[in-house]
Amino acid sequence: MISDIFNLAFLTGLIGATLRMATPIIFATLGEIISERSGVLNLGIEGTMLMGAMTGFLVTLITGSQWLGVFTAAIAGILLGLLMAFLAVYLGLSQHVSGLGITLFATGLSMFIYRLKVGSPTVPPTVDPFKKVVIPVLSDIPVIGSSIFSSYLLTYIAIILIPLVSLLLYKTKVGLKIRTVGANPFAADTVGVNVNLLRTLCLMTGGALMAIGGSFLTLAHQNMFLIDVVGGRGWIAIAMTIFGNWDPVKGAAGALIFGVLDGFQLRLQALGFRIPFHIFLMIPYLITIVALVSVSRKATVPASLLKPYRREEKGS
Amino acid sequence: MKPIVKRMVSISIILLLTMVSSSLVFAGGAKETKAEKKVLIAMATDIGGLGDKSFNDGSWAALEKARDELGVEIRVVESKQMTDYVPNLSGLAEDGAALVFAVGFLMADAIVESAKMNPDTYFAGIDIFLDPETAPKNAVGILFKEEESGYLAGIVAGLLTKKYANIDPRLNDKNVIGAVLGMDIPPVERYQAGYYAGAKAVNPDCEVISVVTGSFNDQAKGKEATLALAEQGADIVFQIAGLTGLGVFTGAKEANILAIGVDVDQAYLAPDTIITSAEKGITQAGFLTIKDVVEGTFEGGKNLTFGIKEKSTGISPFHNFEDKIPQEVKDALNKAIEDMKAGRIKVPQSRKEAGYMQ
Repeated sequence: MISDIFNLAFLTGLIGATLRMATPIIFATLGEIISERSGVLNLGIEGTMLMGAMTGFLVTLITGSQWLGVFTAAIAGILLGLLMAFLAVYLGLSQHVSGLGITLFATGLSMFIYRLKVGSPTVPPTVDPFKKVVIPVLSDIPVIGSSIFSSYLLTYIAIILIPLVSLLLYKTKVGLKIRTVGANPFAADTVGVNVNLLRTLCLMTGGALMAIGGSFLTLAHQNMFLIDVVGGRGWIAIAMTIFGNWDPVKGAAGALIFGVLDGFQLRLQALGFRIPFHIFLMIPYLITIVALVSVSRKATVPASLLKPYRREEKGS
Repeated sequence: MKPIVKRMVSISIILLLTMVSSSLVFAGGAKETKAEKKVLIAMATDIGGLGDKSFNDGSWAALEKARDELGVEIRVVESKQMTDYVPNLSGLAEDGAALVFAVGFLMADAIVESAKMNPDTYFAGIDIFLDPETAPKNAVGILFKEEESGYLAGIVAGLLTKKYANIDPRLNDKNVIGAVLGMDIPPVERYQAGYYAGAKAVNPDCEVISVVTGSFNDQAKGKEATLALAEQGADIVFQIAGLTGLGVFTGAKEANILAIGVDVDQAYLAPDTIITSAEKGITQAGFLTIKDVVEGTFEGGKNLTFGIKEKSTGISPFHNFEDKIPQEVKDALNKAIEDMKAGRIKVPQSRKEAGYMQ
């Protein structure tokens, strides 16, 4: 049995599964990192992903274009980001309450719109999902060829976004401003950065990424919308943000590790190990918790995370 | 604005949003027919909600059948999370329902609690076992012999995976079949135990592998579990996973293997992938219970078990596969059905009885 683990088909399957499972979480984690780096914890993530999954699915169902679906999902995510900004940035409400409120609201709204349009038919409508994009030459490499280089375009985009978001945050002026706004908004304000505007923009960008992550579930991995399609992946992304110490590369690495563990435990079960399956089911979450505990000791939280910025309350 | 005013405004906005969202959920879920002082029969779904193509829809069909044939008024409320169970069940009782269905094993505690709070309303729990010692007198548990349906599915899979692998190019030469489970609850385990026993009865060397996903609502995980089983050589996968199972069908399509549906005839979901479905007649059992209430013969405080004798478990037609399935498979099924009816086969109800791993 042990030899089964290390054969090539097993590895190929595992790598493919890892990427599929990790893609939505990578998108969402990057979105959350951008938001939190600017000082706003967006717990609306789970609802935003569901909204993206629903919007992307419905638009594709109506127009037949998956890309239009992804685009509209991003718009929906931007709007929810805007709503979050209104509550948490301009009104300065508790970020926890506003975020959870948005998740509740977006969940209800997604279900409502879907029911309004589709009803509850005996056969759930399906769309033509994205096809896998096989990259010539590279896809001929054994193992990684038929797994990594035969993925969905959205997966490639997620991977490319990891260094891009990292560059944005660490190597550009905007990135410096975002990090300053998240660490010391008073200093940023002093040098003429519009704190609330920048936080709003970060929430909108983050919302778009979360929603695109959601749309991956209904337009690539699956081809139909179900009420619980996101299934807690937004909360995993929150954990990955902390796990990655608010760093895009480390956060995305966390998402990939989670994907590996999940793909691995499914395969261990399929191999028929005589161990209670509960242990397998626990593996990804258990290791995430262990990692969180060990990492968070050294975590450097953006200093102004959870603190709304009000110029008049300076120094208080 | 003064900070206090601002805070009041913002708090009211949050409250409004929450209310809007919860009312949206309700508006999306509630269905009503015209009220003319008819007997009201109601149900509360499990988290999967209507549209699960499985036991929630099957129960709703029982209510619809009763509306058409017995002229009762019907109503459904969908549960979004486990904490909704008791409010939903009690709420329906307070609406004046004569009988309230709680759909799904997970509502076991909620139905007992609600039945005690509303002694004038009858409750019926689908897939719920009530402890006969303590069960409220106004509640019944409706159980099924899922192992019988699973056994029949196992016979089909066990014969096709090896002996008749030539009937479809998607069947490989390996003697392996698989199952994807949702949460590991008793009805699911009964299906699985029966499936294992059925396959072993016709094909003793057959390897039966299974993956527990831990969820009835995670389509993506259902798909990944199926791909993992296919990698191990399984060419037929039995889904016992509710909505997670819809991912089993997409996964089976992608891995180019075959699948078996569950609870209701699911062939229409993927006509070229689903050979058959292991059914349980929730609609029939639910309808009979409603009839008891309407006719005043309802008797609570016990469990009713529905099986192949009551025409409440069984296997679906083969539909698109009808012409491909060899006569021997059909004969084996008919024989097993007769044997189970006559009590000549005792199908195991748990993995332990079946001698399956773990």
